[in-house]
Amino acid sequence: MKKELFANPDLCTGCNRCTLACSANKEGVFQPSKARMRVTNFPLRGFSVPNICFQCPKANCLEACPTDAMFRGADGVVRLNRDLCSGCGACVSACPYGMVEQDAKGIPFKCDLCDGDPACAKECHSEALVHVAGDAALFQLKAAQMKTRHNSGTPLEKRHKIAEALKRNSRG
Amino acid sequence: MNLYMGKMLVVDLSAESVTTEPLRAEWLREYWGAWGLALRYYTDAVSPEIDPLAPENVVVIMTAPLCGTLVPLASRMCLVSKSPHTGTIFESNVGGSFGPELKYAGYDGIIIKGRAASPVFLKIDDDRVSIESAEHMTGQGIFETEKLMEAAIGAHGAKTLAIGPAAENMITYSMIGSESYRQFGRGGTGALFGSKNLKGVVCRGTGGVRVADMPRFLERTDHFTKNDLLCDDNLWAKTDGTPILVEVTNEMGIHPTRNYTKGFNGRKERLNSDAIQAAKLGNRACASCPMACGKFTRVNSAEIEGPEYETLCLGGSNCEIHDLEAVIRFNRLCDDLGLDTMTCGSTISLAMEMTENGVHDFNLRFGQVEEYLKVVYEIATLSTERGRDLAKGAKHLAAKYGAEELSMEVKGLEMPAYEPRGNFGMGIAYATSERGACHLRAFPIFATDPHDIDALVSDVVDAQNANSIKWSLGFCDFWGTVNTSIEADLMSAGLGEPVSAEELDRAGERIWTLSRLFNLAAGFTAADDTLPKKIMERPLEGGRHAGRVFSRADLARAMQSYYELRDWSAKGIPSSRKLAALGLETTTL
Repeated sequence: MKKELFANPDLCTGCNRCTLACSANKEGVFQPSKARMRVTNFPLRGFSVPNICFQCPKANCLEACPTDAMFRGADGVVRLNRDLCSGCGACVSACPYGMVEQDAKGIPFKCDLCDGDPACAKECHSEALVHVAGDAALFQLKAAQMKTRHNSGTPLEKRHKIAEALKRNSRG
Repeated sequence: MNLYMGKMLVVDLSAESVTTEPLRAEWLREYWGAWGLALRYYTDAVSPEIDPLAPENVVVIMTAPLCGTLVPLASRMCLVSKSPHTGTIFESNVGGSFGPELKYAGYDGIIIKGRAASPVFLKIDDDRVSIESAEHMTGQGIFETEKLMEAAIGAHGAKTLAIGPAAENMITYSMIGSESYRQFGRGGTGALFGSKNLKGVVCRGTGGVRVADMPRFLERTDHFTKNDLLCDDNLWAKTDGTPILVEVTNEMGIHPTRNYTKGFNGRKERLNSDAIQAAKLGNRACASCPMACGKFTRVNSAEIEGPEYETLCLGGSNCEIHDLEAVIRFNRLCDDLGLDTMTCGSTISLAMEMTENGVHDFNLRFGQVEEYLKVVYEIATLSTERGRDLAKGAKHLAAKYGAEELSMEVKGLEMPAYEPRGNFGMGIAYATSERGACHLRAFPIFATDPHDIDALVSDVVDAQNANSIKWSLGFCDFWGTVNTSIEADLMSAGLGEPVSAEELDRAGERIWTLSRLFNLAAGFTAADDTLPKKIMERPLEGGRHAGRVFSRADLARAMQSYYELRDWSAKGIPSSRKLAALGLETTTL
C-alpha cells in the first residue's frame, strides 16, 4: 500500500521540530517560515494543528497554474517545475489550505514529501505526523481535515481558520 | 554569523528610541549566550547599587546560540537584571517559542532601558520595530494582553511576553508570561516591566538561524537526541513531566507540607502524577522539544497547562489544599494576573500558619479553598488589606507581624518544594544560590547520603558551575544527562570552529563567580548565605527524616567547606588567584 502523510492534531505538542527539519532539509537553514508544512498553535487552549499539504487528488493549485509549472508526478505528488513558473501566484490563492507560498522572488514553494521520505514525520516524536499506509481511522481524519476549505485570505489566515475549526471540535 | 544573529535590539523607553547594535563578539567565547551573556551585558550597563525599579535599571533578555535550531531542549531564553524582590542579581529563564521567534526576527537579545511616560508595548515585526501605546491593555490579564498584542501585529502565531495587573502594580513577585502558561517566573521580572511602563513585547520573525555545516549539525543533533536525551534517565519528562516528583519527594520525606512543617503529605494521591494523567487532555512542548513535559489538564471547567510540581506542592500540599481543581484554579489565576505561583503559594501558606498560630488573622486556614483562591486576586490587585500584606512576600509579611521564624526564604526568595532538613544538599544549594532559595542551580536530591555535608558541598559546586553554562547555552533542566562534552560537540558543529568542554567548564565557573561579585558589590555578605530559622531550629515532622534539623553548626561547616572548595575567603569573597584564573581580575562592576 502506498504511504501517505497524515496529521493528527490531538497528538501534536506544538514543538515545531517538523518545521525545523523541513526548512533545514529544503533550505539548509532553520527557518519555519520557509517550511513546507506548518504548525498552528493555540497555547491558551493547549492545542496545536500540523497544517500539511494533502497532495489533493483534484489539486486546485495545479488546476490554477496557467503555465503548467505545477504538475503531478508518477508518485501522485504535486510538484513545481521552476523553469515554467511565471511567479503569478495563482497557485497560492487557489490552495484552500494555505499550503502553497511564494518566496521573496515570487517562486512558489510547497511540500513534495521529500521524494517519499518526509523529514517532518521522521522528526515527530508524538506521532502527530506519520508517513504510513493509511488505515480507516487515518483516512477518516484526513477526510475531516480536507472538508474545511477557505478560498480567501493569505495562506496564514487560511491555515489559522482551518486550525480554529479543528480546535473547536476537539477542545470545545 | 553561524548560530548567532549578530545583533542586539536596544530599546530606550525614556527616549522612545529603538536601535540595534552588533553583538559584542569579544564576550561570546567567555559568556556564550543567555544567562552568561545577559549577565555580562547587564554588569557592563549598571552599577550594583542600582534601585531595581528605577528607570536607570536595565533589563537584558537574551537567547542562546542553539536556540531556534533542531537541537532539542536548547531554546530557553534568559532575563537578567537586579531583582526587586531580593535585591540580588537575578536570572530567570523561560521556555516556549519567544526565543526562537526573536532570533528569526534577527536579534540575539533585547536591552531595555528607561521608563515610558505612559503604558506601551514593543512590537517587533522582523526589522520593523516600534514602541506602541498600551493604554487599552492597562489592567488586562496576561491572556487578554497576549490576544491584543497578537491582533496588533496582525498575524496569528506571533509570540509574546506580557504582564498582568500584578506587575503593573509592581508587586515584587509578579512575573512575565509567555504563550499563556510559560513564565520568567521568579524574582519579580514582571515588576521590572511594570516599572518601565512596558506591558509586553510581541514578536514575529520570518528569518532563520544558520549553522556552519548543516548535514554534520543534523547528524550530531540526531546522535545525541537518540543516544543521550531519549534514554531512561530523561524519559520521565515525556511520560509524566514534573508531577512525578510528588511521589518521589514524598518517598524521600522532603515534600513540604503545611508551610514546611512536615516532609510528607498523607493525601498526595489527589495531586500526584496519576491525578494529573487522569485529568490530561494532551502533552505540550516548548520549541524544538521532543519530550513535551507539559501536561494540559482539565477538571470540570478549569483548564491549564500544568500544574507543575512546584505549584502542586507550594500551592497544594504546603497549603494543605488536596484538591486538583482548586490548584488548577490557583495556578490559572496566578498565570493570568501575573504572579509567581511559588512565592504566592509560599506566602499564602505562611499567612495560613500565622492565622492558625494566632499571630494575625488573615482569614486564611490550611485546606480552606475559597479564601485561598480569593486572596490571589486581592494580592494582584492590592484591593484588600490582607492582599496588600501578602503582596510583600514571605520575608516582609513575617517581619511586619514579628513572625520571622515562620518565613521560609533565603535572601528574600521563597524556598522551592524540596525540604532541606531531609536533604542537606538542597539547603546548601538554597543558601549559596546567587538569587536566593533556588532549585535550578543545584539539585542534589538523588544524593546517596542526603546528610553527608562534604560530599553534598562538592555536588552543589559542580552542579552550579555546570548549570551556569547549561543555562547560558539555553538548555533545559530536563536534559538531565547533557554535559559540557555534548554541549561542546554541538557548538563546534554549529559554529564551525572547535569548542572544548574545558572552556565551557571554565565559563560556567566564571559566570557563577561574576554573579557573586555583583552581589558582594550590592551589599550582600556571607551572613546572607543562610537558611530559614525553622529549618535550623524546628525538627521536621512526618516522613523518613522526621526529627531532623539543619543546625546552625552544620550550616557553618557546610559554608566553610563550600567557600574553601570555591577558593573564596572565609567571608565568601573570591580570591584574586581564582579571579585571575577565570579572567575576571580586570572586570569592574
